[in-house]
Amino acid sequence: MDFVQNFPFFSIMLSMFSGTVCSVLPRKAAKWVNTIVISVVSVLSLILLVYLIGKKESYVYMMGHFPAPWGNEIRAGVLEAGMALFFCVIMLLSMLGGRKKLHDEVVESKHNMYYILVNLLLSSLLALVYTNDLFTAYVFVEINTIAACGLIMIRQNGRTIEAAVRYMIMSLLGSGLLLLGICMLYDLTGHLLMSNIRESVHMIMEDGTYRVPLLVTITLISVGLAIKSALFPFHGWLPDAYGYSTVSSAAILSSLVSKGYIFLLIKIIYRVLGFDVFGMSHIIDVLFAFGLMGMVFGSLNAIEENDIRRMIAFSSVAQIGYIYMGIGMGTQAGMTASVFHILSHAATKSLLFIAAIGLTDVSGGSRHFIDLTGAAYRNKWAGVTFTVGSLSMVGVPMFSGFISKLLFAQAAVQNHVKMLPALIVLAVSTVLNAIYFMKTVIRIYTPAQEDKYESITFKDMKSYVLALVCFIILNVILGISSQPIVDLIEQGLSMFA
Amino acid sequence: MSYFILLPIVFPVLSGIFLLVRGEMKSRKNLLAVTGGLLVITALLAVLALAFGRGEMLLLFDLTQTLPVLFKIDDMGMVFAVVAVLVFVCAGFFSFEYMKHEAHERRYYGFYLIVFGILMALCFAGNLVTFYLFFEILTLSSMTLVLHSGSKEAVMAGLKYLFYSLCGAYMVLFGFYFLSHYANTLSFSEGSVLNPDLTAGHTGLLCAAAFAMILGFSVKAGMFPMHAWLTAAHPAAPAPASAVLSAVIVKAGVLGIIRVVYYLFGASFLRDGWVQRVWMVLALVTIFMGSLLAYREPVLKKRLAYSTVSQVSYILYGLAVMDGDALAGGVLHVICHSLVKAVLFLCAGALIYRTGKTRVDELRGVGKEMPCLMWCYTIAALGLIGIPPTGGFISKWYLAAGSLSSGIPGFSWIGPAVLLVSALLTAGYLLPIAICGFLPGDDFDYGKLVKKEPGGLMLAPILLLTVLSVLIGLFPNAVLDFIRQFSAGIL
Amino acid sequence: MGANLLVNYGEAVAMLLFVIGFTNLLLQKNLIKKIIGLNIMDSAVYLFLAEKGYIEGRTVPIVVNGVQDVEAYINPIPSGLVLTGIVVSVSVTALMLSLTIRLYRRYHTLDLDEISTRLKKEGL
Repeated sequence: MDFVQNFPFFSIMLSMFSGTVCSVLPRKAAKWVNTIVISVVSVLSLILLVYLIGKKESYVYMMGHFPAPWGNEIRAGVLEAGMALFFCVIMLLSMLGGRKKLHDEVVESKHNMYYILVNLLLSSLLALVYTNDLFTAYVFVEINTIAACGLIMIRQNGRTIEAAVRYMIMSLLGSGLLLLGICMLYDLTGHLLMSNIRESVHMIMEDGTYRVPLLVTITLISVGLAIKSALFPFHGWLPDAYGYSTVSSAAILSSLVSKGYIFLLIKIIYRVLGFDVFGMSHIIDVLFAFGLMGMVFGSLNAIEENDIRRMIAFSSVAQIGYIYMGIGMGTQAGMTASVFHILSHAATKSLLFIAAIGLTDVSGGSRHFIDLTGAAYRNKWAGVTFTVGSLSMVGVPMFSGFISKLLFAQAAVQNHVKMLPALIVLAVSTVLNAIYFMKTVIRIYTPAQEDKYESITFKDMKSYVLALVCFIILNVILGISSQPIVDLIEQGLSMFA
Repeated sequence: MSYFILLPIVFPVLSGIFLLVRGEMKSRKNLLAVTGGLLVITALLAVLALAFGRGEMLLLFDLTQTLPVLFKIDDMGMVFAVVAVLVFVCAGFFSFEYMKHEAHERRYYGFYLIVFGILMALCFAGNLVTFYLFFEILTLSSMTLVLHSGSKEAVMAGLKYLFYSLCGAYMVLFGFYFLSHYANTLSFSEGSVLNPDLTAGHTGLLCAAAFAMILGFSVKAGMFPMHAWLTAAHPAAPAPASAVLSAVIVKAGVLGIIRVVYYLFGASFLRDGWVQRVWMVLALVTIFMGSLLAYREPVLKKRLAYSTVSQVSYILYGLAVMDGDALAGGVLHVICHSLVKAVLFLCAGALIYRTGKTRVDELRGVGKEMPCLMWCYTIAALGLIGIPPTGGFISKWYLAAGSLSSGIPGFSWIGPAVLLVSALLTAGYLLPIAICGFLPGDDFDYGKLVKKEPGGLMLAPILLLTVLSVLIGLFPNAVLDFIRQFSAGIL
Repeated sequence: MGANLLVNYGEAVAMLLFVIGFTNLLLQKNLIKKIIGLNIMDSAVYLFLAEKGYIEGRTVPIVVNGVQDVEAYINPIPSGLVLTGIVVSVSVTALMLSLTIRLYRRYHTLDLDEISTRLKKEGL
């Protein structure tokens, strides 16, 4: 066994222990430990990714001394390593971009807490990505929820606590369904490891017995994860949670936490149920329909919104709709598009949140559109970055959003039944996207009548600008050289099967 | 690799960004000198690229495996590029005087240059992806020209423009999704790029895709029923910006349609289908309706905007007929209409600038006040109506001839009839201004007249464009032969 | 169908409890009642698991008297899962309760909707 194969385990453990260590360190040190750990984990993931690309196959890593089907396992393929790398990069940039803001929004004594939660979140995300065991996945889903809830309420005002409660309630409903689904799956197959369950599911399908319980199980798991990842109409908690928490939390929550659950769902679809079995159940059509509805209604809600942060949050609902639409198409191409959109949306949405905070900061802290007039002149970097993010969401070529829309469309053309609704809703939602994002861009570039607020210069926000530039570069890379990434995703998905 | 064809694209865009980013200039004079210099250099670079780059291809990079960003200078693109350069340079110099009293001049010139560069990129785009990319950017950057004044009407007009154009662009994208599945390549090539093996049995679907794309691009070209943005955007924009908008940016939609119909789907695929019929009906309706609305419109710039709606649909009609003569007439009308409409808008701008009058009925006697300007206006108006020996006559002649010889039942004679009626209406809405301008009538108080002739910087571009529009009417053969030669290849 | 229900009455009860808990968590306005619903829901799942792991007539999976035959023992894994699940549910309940206390201190009510309307009034 190569030494590199230990890396997933190392990454999870490193981030988890560093969380514990952060609690006793001084504040400054905790900050650095946090940054270093995320960087180290991304380097580890990168090395693993390169190793796996060279090796061209995934491997299973035994945790402890008991082999399958009893022990616990980690599994790493190209897609897992790539996702881990991407999550780490986004998290690093989000932390970097929101670092200065953290001092204003969170009381000093809670800073250590914040870094603990971030590390915990990272470890649970990595565990979700790598694990090969369903019950482990459940446990880490809960840890993820708790950490995310902490991230929301770390900024203490009535809104965030209320948002955290709502988030918890929806999440608990979702994880309750997920847990029941996993238990039923265990009941049906007698296994908890993904690969073993898949063999049993195949046998069940061949025998033709237990069709109804299996369908119920698939429904429970899909609905549970859909609730957790805020698929329309389960998105009620989302705008408050993303809208009022600290900016790094919002960026991380919108781009990573919900995506972690979606990734788990994709993993379950491929590795537990099997793509064909999932495709045959009608739950896939339901996901498709809700995805389409989310695309439209999320955007409509965003258009009505007068608060820039909540607007971006509602746009997340629409984008998650895109991802579920891709999953719901039931084709390999649709799945590839969805995974690409996970990346593209994560890169764009965190960029938008981080840019929006720069704009609201130079508008007296108000997030209302009227106060944002001319904000892009007061904070030029944030203005440019927000524009880039908007163009990407609207789907202008050269940015990542265009490629994901193109991939969705290409996938839709292959499925003759779902082609027309998918393409029409894609076009409609793009127009709606354009309406609210362009409205915002015009607003921030309309010169203000009076100079009420002060401008901010480059010197005051070096780390912030660095984060913004990295985000833009990431976005353009996804937009211009998407082909190798799409190839990797396809390779990774084929490793799943 | 022939990277020099990128120069007229990259240079103006970079210099526009430079103007936007750097601080205020020391004086207005410096700003004008810099802008003028940049405009001239851009024009020279464009001429260079056109002179030496004919037929050159440049593959910049691959967006995805099947979608490269590709530039190519072909004959059709050259025609549009030449027109764009002419109008942009003239309107640019015109605005040096005109923009004196507007705020944020630096921003205006910055975006003006950027739009120039993007438009050149559109002319040189070698495949649909590149075209679509720059089409979107063109919308975004030219929108800033519309809402330049920042007043509420201007912002609303800009938003209207944006939403119409984006809706159009997404209709194009809708067709693009289908096309990317059924075509061999998305590079513009003479004839059809469709893959016959894949398209078999999906003709209906592809026709719908083609129709969506035509409709999408025709939003930019102001075809009924998506013409409303034009009449909102033109009065709101500064006059030189509306000249550019009406003369060249609208033509970007025309170029898009040409690319889709003649270089992607192929004329043979669409000929005699429902797409062609519906398209022709829409174009004819627009021609008639645009003229009628212009006739009833009292505000001068709005009247000209309606006239653009009508005249651009002449071009679209010529394209829809899919006949050699009509196509040549259409392309020639692109040139004529661009020159003439630029003159008309610049004249309107000069009138507003010198007298402050925006309504047609206020313009009595202006011919006595500024004779030179009004003569240019009159000549241009004659050109738009299509009275020989102007260029408009030649292009409309070919449009009508092509329509008659196409043999499409019904349309072959309804078309020319509508063209004729619309020409009469054009005379009806353009000439009274000139007549009242020169012959205000007996009850007019000649004592109040003062010489108001605009300065040389305003007059010279107008004169240049007028002379060109007359020259093209007097000596159409050189241009026409060129057009006929390459348009024979794409039919 | 009916016979199956009778044989697996334990599972049926678990499902019933799950639905009760789920509805409570979803629909109750009072936060404490919501948390109770959450606990009912989780307990229902543990009951379901325990029911699945138990096999009639077998003993605890601990080697006593040297009997090592697999057939003698019940399935121990569900019990382990139940334990893990309880730990998770306890921590989640604790978190929810702490949040509830925070909200109560601030607004002196446990009604989530009323808190929302008050927040809107505050204009935060």
